Amino acid sequence: MKRRLQAVLIAAALRLVHAALVELQELDPAVAEELRRLPVGISYAIYAGYCGPSLLVRWDGERLSRISDTSHPVKNTLRFKALAIAFRLFTGQIGLAHAYAQHAFTLSGDIADVMRLARLVNRAEVHLFPSIVTRCILPEQPGPAVSPLRIYARIFYGFLKSAY
Amino acid sequence: MTPAYFEFQNAVKLLCGQNALDRIPDELRHLKAEHPLLLTDALLLRLGIVSAVQDIMVAEGCAPAAVYTDIPVDSSLGAVNRIAMVYRESGCDSIVAVGGGSVIDSAKGARLVLSQESDDILSIGGIENLHCGRHIPFIVVPTTAGTGSECTGVAVIRNEQQGVKMEFLSPFVEPDVAVLDARMTLRLPARATASTGIDALCHAIEAATCLQSNPLSSAYCSAAIRLICANVIEAVQHGSNADARLCMAMAATMAGIAFSNSMVGAVHAIGHALGGVCHVAHAEAMGILLPHVLRYNLPAAAEGYAQLLPEMVGWEPAAATPPAERGKAMVQAVEDLLALLHAKAGIPLRLSEVGVNEQQIPRIAETALNDGALIVNPRPMLAQQVADLLHGAL
Ligand SMILES: [Fe+2]
Repeated sequence: MKRRLQAVLIAAALRLVHAALVELQELDPAVAEELRRLPVGISYAIYAGYCGPSLLVRWDGERLSRISDTSHPVKNTLRFKALAIAFRLFTGQIGLAHAYAQHAFTLSGDIADVMRLARLVNRAEVHLFPSIVTRCILPEQPGPAVSPLRIYARIFYGFLKSAY
Repeated sequence: MTPAYFEFQNAVKLLCGQNALDRIPDELRHLKAEHPLLLTDALLLRLGIVSAVQDIMVAEGCAPAAVYTDIPVDSSLGAVNRIAMVYRESGCDSIVAVGGGSVIDSAKGARLVLSQESDDILSIGGIENLHCGRHIPFIVVPTTAGTGSECTGVAVIRNEQQGVKMEFLSPFVEPDVAVLDARMTLRLPARATASTGIDALCHAIEAATCLQSNPLSSAYCSAAIRLICANVIEAVQHGSNADARLCMAMAATMAGIAFSNSMVGAVHAIGHALGGVCHVAHAEAMGILLPHVLRYNLPAAAEGYAQLLPEMVGWEPAAATPPAERGKAMVQAVEDLLALLHAKAGIPLRLSEVGVNEQQIPRIAETALNDGALIVNPRPMLAQQVADLLHGAL
């Protein structure tokens, strides 16, 4: 039961991270700049363990779109070694740097490209988690570009429109 | 502080000291290897340093099936793929690498390509993503005392097209056997002795204080720093002192085992970028960047640095330093050592001395930001902080 609940929460967190990045492309200059520098056509996959939820995205030069597992071969993959470890990251218990230091995931592809994804996820978390959490797990990150309330409102509206 | 979680692995058999080289054929037999590919570079071959290994292999009935020497100073993805091709074409069944960091890392890359039954190292990039693959017996004989690559699970290889150094991390990168024999480093020039020694020092300091440090790797760090500080000046001034040479070799290996298990930090992230963008020699980049990064990290890492002070300066001077000053004193001790090595061996202390200019800084900073080593630096760094640090080191 606990495991199923964790999987549901991670699946929701992955969708939220993607939605936040779509919104932040317009609102956070750091996200816009990072996306602008991505190679067009690059794709990423994040897997929470071997049987857990996943997020696959592709940058087409204008928008970070979710893709299905089979539509494009995904070059850069970040796979958490276990669902429980992914859960710690997506609930703000540890940051990506500490997760890396704890051998929490494996990476396939070009490490430089995955570092770009890591910076994007960090920016999304800055806007999604309360500042008391991000100050602790992402101390280097500048604060949110817009209030988290505004981001959540836009994401809510975006989900209503099936924008993601 | 005990980390919440850590991993530690070192499966390399170490042959260290008298007649270590002479035991290579026996080790090859134990590994069921009969047709080794001998990898080295043209300079080591010309200087006759490789012949010490090659002659023993021939005399003991393990003559190399092929000898490959076309390895660039910075290694390269192309060289790695070519080595794998030569291995297959020559019917080899094992690899013996004799050289510094670039030879060893190229050998590691080629072995990965072969064991994963691939044709291109780029297709198998990543971190901890590979399965064990086919076992290719692999013996490494370092000819510098610095990289520690003989005992690490990482290969750093230059992507010549993109101008970046790429890291390939996997436990299956570790060699089977590492051979430390003072004969291999006795003729290393003073400047290379000093700079590679500082590379090893840098591994130990970064491994002991980065986010991934752990009690096991820290024990190796402390021992390595002690050996380096006790022997590097002697090795620089009296290169023929075999004992000092062996101590430096052991220190480099221990620092390698340490950083293979706890990673490095900003000195290496920015150093890789300097190598990729401006071709600055890795070990010299380390000496230039180390004090600047230590000063930057001090607010976050003072306690970790303080613990290394006794290894740097000895117990009595460390005990006489007020506890709150010990972190800063350790950084000062590193700066003093670098100044001494600059005076005695001519190692560079500024980026301008190795041809780096202001216009290159944005590209170096951007490249460093994408290096995996930056993520575990004890104090986080964004692009502006990397650029500021580089300006300070010009
Ligand atoms: Fe190094």
